Parts: sequence; structure tokens; C-alpha cells
Amino acid sequence: MEVNVIIIPVRCFTCGSLIGDKWEDFAMRIKQGEDAGNVLDSLGMKRYCCRRMLLSHVEIIDEILKFYEETKKRETP
Amino acid sequence: MVEIEVVDKTDNTIRLFIRGVDVSFVNTLRRLILTEIPSMAVDDVVILENSSVLNDEILVHRLGLTPLTTDLDSYNLPEECPCQSEFGCNLCRVALALNVEAVEGTRTVYSGDLVSENPDVKPVSDRICIVKLVQDQKVKLEAYARLGKGKVHAKWQPVSMCAYKFFPQIKIDGKLCDACEDCVKVCPKAVFVKVGDKIEVRNVTDCTLCEDCMDACAKDPSAVELTWDKNAFIFDIESTGALPVERLVRESLNILDKKLKSFLKNLKKVK
Ligand SMILES: [Zn+2]
Ligand SMILES: [Zn+2]
Repeated sequence: MEVNVIIIPVRCFTCGSLIGDKWEDFAMRIKQGEDAGNVLDSLGMKRYCCRRMLLSHVEIIDEILKFYEETKKRETP
Repeated sequence: MVEIEVVDKTDNTIRLFIRGVDVSFVNTLRRLILTEIPSMAVDDVVILENSSVLNDEILVHRLGLTPLTTDLDSYNLPEECPCQSEFGCNLCRVALALNVEAVEGTRTVYSGDLVSENPDVKPVSDRICIVKLVQDQKVKLEAYARLGKGKVHAKWQPVSMCAYKFFPQIKIDGKLCDACEDCVKVCPKAVFVKVGDKIEVRNVTDCTLCEDCMDACAKDPSAVELTWDKNAFIFDIESTGALPVERLVRESLNILDKKLKSFLKNLKKVK
């Protein structure tokens, strides 16, 4: 997957179906220990092109934002 | 005689059985749905302020890909609009405003934060992440959505899937078959089931015509005979939410009608 995808893509790269609204739900349920396959099934994602979009995604923007949050903290005492 | 049967329908998907037509007709429908049916998408964006970590181009690209519900009857394609203006008028353009500032800590900007001037043209889902902002970062912009066609840009494609296959016909020769279950094991779609000492065909429509069942059969000639009806099709459509699926089918036929009429008109000129 592309290195510069820093936030969940709006659509599947291959088929163009909407995935941008499913990431938060997916990430939260994975964190709670649910099986990824079951979560994808319940989100109604049938094709493997769309499934890999969520399955292989790393939300890098969360890591980048930490730097800005930290800077903000240091600015205001 | 063309026969169309709706076999399965959900909010955004439909499965049709189409009988009595040939491949060229079904393929015409598929291509019209993919490339010719207009739908709404953000086309121009004026950015007033963007202090987010995503640069303007990425932000705008994400807005463009956000599927919008389309009101086909109230809007004109920009090239067909009487205004003939590059900027557009009320009949060929919808403005959506986005004005979000992270006031209390980090927040996500969702498609639901877009304020449309026409409530009939708005993002399909309110929960699409557009960008994330930390405190004091701000995004302020005005986006202009227009009708467009899939052949110009994929963001205007009203479907995320549109495909057909021939109607499978599977016959098992009861005299040859010894119910060895080789076809049951090899079939990726579980089309065969062993019932008693016989193999039966269950989910014919799931068959992908891969012919693995014929190859797996040890008998010569194969006890499984897989063919397909050249004039019957299983047609699947999945809408992005821009337009209802039934509307897509009807609209594609309207466009075909229009195209054939103009073809005929031009043909008469030649004569
Ligand atoms: Zn996909
Ligand atoms: Zn106009």
C-alpha cells in the first residue's frame, strides 16, 4: 500500500466503494478484541479489495497529530 | 422477448436476471451505467483557510471522492446548462460550505460537517472522515458540486460495482456419477451438495463458471456438465448511494434510447 496514505482513504482504490465512514467503527471494534473478518462481514464489506483497505490501513495522521498536540501543550503553560 | 426479474434488492444493491437478450445489449447497459449516468460530485473548491496537516490538494481530493446524493431532475449538466457559464448557476451547481475549527482539543472533521445549500444534495454518509484537526487548527472552504459523467472522472461514477455473468447451467449425469464428492470439494462457491448417494446442484446462481468441477470429475466424459445460457444473464449493480439502484437501470435505458435516436437522425442525414 502507498506510504503516503496518512488518513483512511474515502474510497476503495480498486472498486471505488465508500470505506471512509467505516474506519472508526472498524478500528474501535478491533481494539476491543473482535475478529477482523467478522467485523468486516458485519460492515457489509464483501469484496477483498475493500476488505484489505481497512485491514492493512495504518492511521498515520494520529501519530503526526501527537507532535502538534505536544507543541500546543508546551506553548500554553 | 426481454424478461427482467429482480431477484435481490437492498438499499444500494440489486441483482437482476435478464433473459432474452445478447451480450452486446447487457454490456451496453453496463457501460452506460459506468460512464454515462450523471451524478453529483465536488468539482471546484475555494479554500479560505486550511491549517490542518493535510495540504489543500489532498483535502480537495477527499471532498471530490465523497459521494453525494444526486437530484437528477433538478440539475443540468454544466455543458448543457443554458447559463453556459464557467462558474455555473443555480441549475448546474450546488455549494457546500465547510467551516470547522478545533476549539476543544483534537477533533475529526466529518462529511456531516459540510453544509449544503440544497438538502437533497449532501454526502451519502455523515461519518466519512475528511481530516483531523488539533486544537486551534481550522478548515474553512466552499466546495462546488456539479453533475458529471464517469467517463470524465471516476468520482462521477454512480456505482462501485456493475457486472454481469452468463446464467450457469449445470447438469449431472446420474448414470455416470458415482457420488465421489470430488466436485463438491473443489467448487469454490459450494454449488454442489451430496444428498444420500447422489450429488445435487444447489446454488446455481453462485457458480462462477470456473469449470473446476468438470476437471475434478474422474469420469471420462465428465459426469458434470457445465454450460451457460448465452441469452440469459445475472446482472449485479451496487450504487455508491448517489442514485437509487432502480433509477440507474431506468436511466441507462433512457440514455441508450437517446443515443439510438440521435444515431438514427444522423443516419438519415447521410442518406
Ligand atoms: Zn473495493
Ligand atoms: Zn447553469
